[in-house]
Amino acid sequence: MSILRTSLAIPEVLAVVALPPMLMSVIAKTKAWFGGQTGPPWLQPYWDLLKLCRKGAVYSETTTWIFRAGPTVSLAALLTAATMIPVLSGGTILGFNGDVILVAYLFALGRMFMVLAAMDTGSSFEGMGASREVTFGTMSEPALFLSFVVMAIATGRLELGEMVGPRLFSAWPSIGPAMLLVVGAWMIVLLTETCRIPVDDPATHLELTMIHEVMALDHSGPDLAFITYGAALKFTLLGALLLHAAIPHPAWLGIANAPLRLLELGLLASVVGVLESSMARLRLNRVPLFLAGATVLAGLAAVLVLARSHA
Amino acid sequence: MNPILLPIAMLAAGAVWATLSGAWPRASLAGALTAVAGSGLACVRIGLLPLTGNSTDGSGISLSWPLPLGSAHLQCDGLSGWFMIVIGVVSLSVALYSWGYMRREIARGSVSVFGALLCLLTATLVVVVCAADVVLFLVGWEAMTLCAFFLIGFHDRDPEARRGAWMYIVATHLGTALCLLPMFALLVRCAGTTDFTTFRSALASAAERDHVLLFLLGLIGFGAKAGFMPMHVWLPAAHPVAPTPASALLSGVVIKTGIYGLLRLLTWFPPLPASCGVLVLILGVVGGVFGVLYALAQHDLKRLLAYHSVENIGIIVVGIGIGMLAQQSGHLSVATLGYAGALLHVLNHALFKALLFLSAGAVIFSTGCGRIDRLGGLARRAPVNACLFLVGAVAICGLPPLNGFVSEWLIYGSLFNSAFSATGAAAAGPVVAVVSLALMGGLALACFAKVFAVVFLGDPRDPALWVRPIPGSMTAGMVLLAVPCVVIGLLPGSFVKLVIPGIRQIVPPIVDGSAGVAEGMLTAAGTLSWLAAAFALFLVVLTLGRRRLTRTAAPSPRSRTWGCGYAYPTPRMQYTASSFAWSLIASFRSLLWPDRHHQPPRGAFPQGSQLATHTFDLAEHDIFAPLLRGAARLCAMIKTLTWTGQAADAKQNGTADPQAGKRPIALIVHHVLNALRRGSIHIYLGFIVLTLITLFVIEAAFSPGVHSAVDPRPIHRAGSEGEDR
Repeated sequence: MSILRTSLAIPEVLAVVALPPMLMSVIAKTKAWFGGQTGPPWLQPYWDLLKLCRKGAVYSETTTWIFRAGPTVSLAALLTAATMIPVLSGGTILGFNGDVILVAYLFALGRMFMVLAAMDTGSSFEGMGASREVTFGTMSEPALFLSFVVMAIATGRLELGEMVGPRLFSAWPSIGPAMLLVVGAWMIVLLTETCRIPVDDPATHLELTMIHEVMALDHSGPDLAFITYGAALKFTLLGALLLHAAIPHPAWLGIANAPLRLLELGLLASVVGVLESSMARLRLNRVPLFLAGATVLAGLAAVLVLARSHA
Repeated sequence: MNPILLPIAMLAAGAVWATLSGAWPRASLAGALTAVAGSGLACVRIGLLPLTGNSTDGSGISLSWPLPLGSAHLQCDGLSGWFMIVIGVVSLSVALYSWGYMRREIARGSVSVFGALLCLLTATLVVVVCAADVVLFLVGWEAMTLCAFFLIGFHDRDPEARRGAWMYIVATHLGTALCLLPMFALLVRCAGTTDFTTFRSALASAAERDHVLLFLLGLIGFGAKAGFMPMHVWLPAAHPVAPTPASALLSGVVIKTGIYGLLRLLTWFPPLPASCGVLVLILGVVGGVFGVLYALAQHDLKRLLAYHSVENIGIIVVGIGIGMLAQQSGHLSVATLGYAGALLHVLNHALFKALLFLSAGAVIFSTGCGRIDRLGGLARRAPVNACLFLVGAVAICGLPPLNGFVSEWLIYGSLFNSAFSATGAAAAGPVVAVVSLALMGGLALACFAKVFAVVFLGDPRDPALWVRPIPGSMTAGMVLLAVPCVVIGLLPGSFVKLVIPGIRQIVPPIVDGSAGVAEGMLTAAGTLSWLAAAFALFLVVLTLGRRRLTRTAAPSPRSRTWGCGYAYPTPRMQYTASSFAWSLIASFRSLLWPDRHHQPPRGAFPQGSQLATHTFDLAEHDIFAPLLRGAARLCAMIKTLTWTGQAADAKQNGTADPQAGKRPIALIVHHVLNALRRGSIHIYLGFIVLTLITLFVIEAAFSPGVHSAVDPRPIHRAGSEGEDR
């Protein structure tokens, strides 16, 4: 039985590992379409990764082993989180009671090491990016946890794989409004954590205004490949969580469950592409308000759920 | 000999040796530190006995006791045992570290005093944690306060050190005198004995109002020692000025005795009303969030760590608060989870905070500078210390796979679970606590990213700072703390089991099998090991893959950091700690009220420009400072017998004889008052004797029937115990 389950899981694991660059490609294509361009080929992100892996790396004389370890530790933390996050079918590999907290803290571990690697260069530009990264990361944390609280109270579970899917589907009719607020909050968290417009502009070429990109300024070669892939993976994981909360799949979907989710992920990526094409980046001192908005949304959702459980 | 006496005897011997052999400072220090290290090992062994279930009753001992009340009853149960481990591990590593750290003080003398004080402090810690009698506990408590006072003020030529030491002793003594003494007096009066073991049954019959009163007194009294938020003001003043081994012991263990006192108090009460639990939860949340916010705003390495102690005490208190709330509502498994998180965090915080203090002390030892913005680039010049600080930083941020995560995870678990079980408004408390814990986690990450990055990474900011090597014994002491940080993080299951006997003192075991999700989480703690293994696997695979890729690629030259087109960056251009933290500080400015002095560059050829930021502690500057100024004014008014508090003599200098033309009675009164306020000691003593005689006369005149009272003993004890101290 377990062998059968494992063998069924293998294609999904492979799909999840291979998917992230494709989602980046979807975003890029959407943006290109809005700009009236053809855009890069669909497989370009994969070629970019391959190219980076073949290249050597140039290291600054200022840096230490922290600079080299940063991308590796960060990606390892994200991969570990991926084993507990339901991406396509709703199942997880290593999920356990209480893994919600571990997932959030693994993201934080990844952030810590990326920030340290950036600061290791001694560049004031990277310092600026690192400072912004920790600021916005800190401010998105309450919204993230409030959303987890809402889902945990709705389903009575602390395991991500159990908090979504059929259990959430049956709870949705009674807590729909709260979940809509959670989805709103989560969208803001997704855009912040993955450094997309309106928080950060991945296409900008002015270092003073960057967040994610400026932190990777000095990285090159395989390290940069790890960072690029890690960012895409983070987008995939958070996007999948968002979709699981927004559109819980019932159990009767059966075999169509995973492909449908794949489609939704593609749609989410294009929605992000549309957002990036249609709005400008916020001024940096406006971003905390944007994140406070997410916290307020999630807090409202928590109040709704608590009131519901009281009634 | 009873095992508890072993460390105390060793430490007493060490203290005596250190005092007597002051002429040979080396031998004196070595002897004292050996005693501390040996007693540390003994403490761990004694602590493990009740935790592993080997012996629970045989470890108590009563000695002969010269005082008329109380008894020398020492007992090591599950709760004491846990704190004994904390004391043992920290004092062992501090002893190792001190050997390297204090050697350069040998030439300046008085290291023997340091050694003796360290011995005495450790011994009194053992007494406080193991005492099973009110009088013994209070004697140990006071002796501990005094030892810590002398250790904080060890560099007493530094006015800051004197100020820190005095702030410490005033803060903790206010707590002890105003709250702990009345509380214990009431307890003794209620139980009729001074024995800890009788309090539980005595309190079971008391009214709930009395429980709340006693608990509040204990909360304030122990909270002043532990550094709860409004009473934390002594921590940032005392920790930075103490010699580093003392700071580590203070922050790792001494403030934990406040937590121990609170938990010991909880073992005596039946479940307290929910309002108490809510109050504790609020204290925890406020302390945690403000502690870390103030930490973020600090510019001094050790001061920053002191504020992080306030934060971590807040996290521990959140765990205790949720445990109390769940216990009151009957969810014993959730309560167990909360207390387990709190107790584990006591050990974890002792480990990583002591490690961070020792590591910060090593930075100051090797560079002579503790200002974060002057340091930089130490990772290349002191790589081992950088690694150790990084371990501590990752652990204190609660990041997996180290120990800080495990205890925070347990506390999160109890908060989530009580949000399930409570309904409506009662669930709001846990939800708010979850959010603030998440915020604390994020802010702590920002703070330690700042410290580690600015102190250890990048280029040295000040070329004048010379880095001298760190002695091996200092490194050994730090490694001794870093290893358990990693081990607890990788094997949390076995350590969670060790916490349970301590919790059983507070929460009765669950008998009806309603373990539920919360108990499931205690067992799931073992699962964290698997996740840590998965993380390690990914790490190894990625590292090997990366090494393969970089090897096959063409070797690339090293170059300068990309300056975005600017070719001549200097180390002074690096991002500073203040700038790094400013965006967060500015976002929370309505809570912190930071001061910012900015003189921007002006004109086409700007001359000077500067920027300075300071964040003052609101509790210190806006609560305690006005309060104490008022008290000082009151004292001055009493001393000088004037409304202004200005001495009358000062104004009369140079004028004609003021008594001329006064009537004789006024003259006598004036002379008496003058004699009083000049403050010669025999007049004060005479005044005291006179007052006492007057009081006795009044008592004899108005209460002749006092001898026929039914049983005055408990009252007598309660009353005289206060004076005894």
